[in-house]
Amino acid sequence: MAAADLNAIRATIEGRLATELASSPAIPVVFHNMAYEPTPNSSFVQCLVSFGANEYLSQGLTTNSQNRIIGIVTINIFSAKGVGSGANYIIGKRIRDLYNRVIVSGVFFDAATGPEALASPSPEGYFQTQVRVTFESIEEL
Amino acid sequence: MATIRGEQGAVQFDAAGSSNATVVGTRSWSLTTTKETLDTSKQGDTFRSFVGSMISGSGTVELVYDPDATGQATFLEDVVTTADTADATFELFTTGTTSGTDSVSFAGIITDMEITSTVGELVVVSCSFVTSGAITMNLE
Repeated sequence: MAAADLNAIRATIEGRLATELASSPAIPVVFHNMAYEPTPNSSFVQCLVSFGANEYLSQGLTTNSQNRIIGIVTINIFSAKGVGSGANYIIGKRIRDLYNRVIVSGVFFDAATGPEALASPSPEGYFQTQVRVTFESIEEL
Repeated sequence: MATIRGEQGAVQFDAAGSSNATVVGTRSWSLTTTKETLDTSKQGDTFRSFVGSMISGSGTVELVYDPDATGQATFLEDVVTTADTADATFELFTTGTTSGTDSVSFAGIITDMEITSTVGELVVVSCSFVTSGAITMNLE
C-alpha cells in the first residue's frame, strides 16, 4: 500500500499508445511538453494525459484507505488536409481500440469518445480529430 | 471545537469476538440506538410520564468491495453464520482506530448483506447489523 505513482499511470497510458503507433503503419506520436515539427501532408498523433479531480473512496485517512484518481487522455489525430477523413479514422480506430473499456495495470479506461472532427485544427493545415478517454485508478494507502 | 469528517472514520470487527481488526474499504457506517420507554402515567395525571427501558441498536456499514482487502471477506460472510450466537464484536470509530476512543463498541449480528455491481460504478457492499447486549459509547 502506497501513494499512487502518477508517473507510472502516465507511462502506462502513453506506453500503450507508443507501442501501437510504432507498429506498421507507424505514426509519429508526441506527448505533453515535447517539441515536434510535423511533416506537411503527413499524419501524426498528439497524446495529452491529464489528472483531474480525485475523491475519497473509503474511510481511514492515510492508512488502510482508498482514493479514486480520475483523469482524461486526450488524443489529437492529424492527417493530410483535403483528402477526406478515411485515413484519419483508420488511426482513430487503432487508438480507440487501445483504450475502450480496457483495464491495464490498475488503470480503468471508460468508453472512448470520438474520433470527433474539430472545426479549427491546431496546428492549421491538417484535418484533426480527437479521441478522449476518461480513466480512473484506485489509490490504496 | 473540532469537527470530524467521515473519511476519518473506521470500522473494526472480529467474527469471533476476540480481537477486533480494521475492515479495509469501509465507505460509511451508521448506528441508530433506540431506548424503549414504559408508560408510567397514573390515573389522575394530566401529563404522561415514562421511564426508560430496553436499549438496542442497529445500523449499516457500506464498503467498496475488494476481495483482497484485509478483513472484508470475514465481515461480509458473517451474514451466513448459522446459529449465530452474536459473538462477533464491532467497534465503529468516528476518527482514528484507538480502541475505546471516539468509538462505539458492541457485540452483534450481521443480518443483511447486499452486494451491488453496476456498469460504470464500483462494486459496493452494504451490510446491516443489530447489536446484542451492551452498547459501549466512547464518543466524548
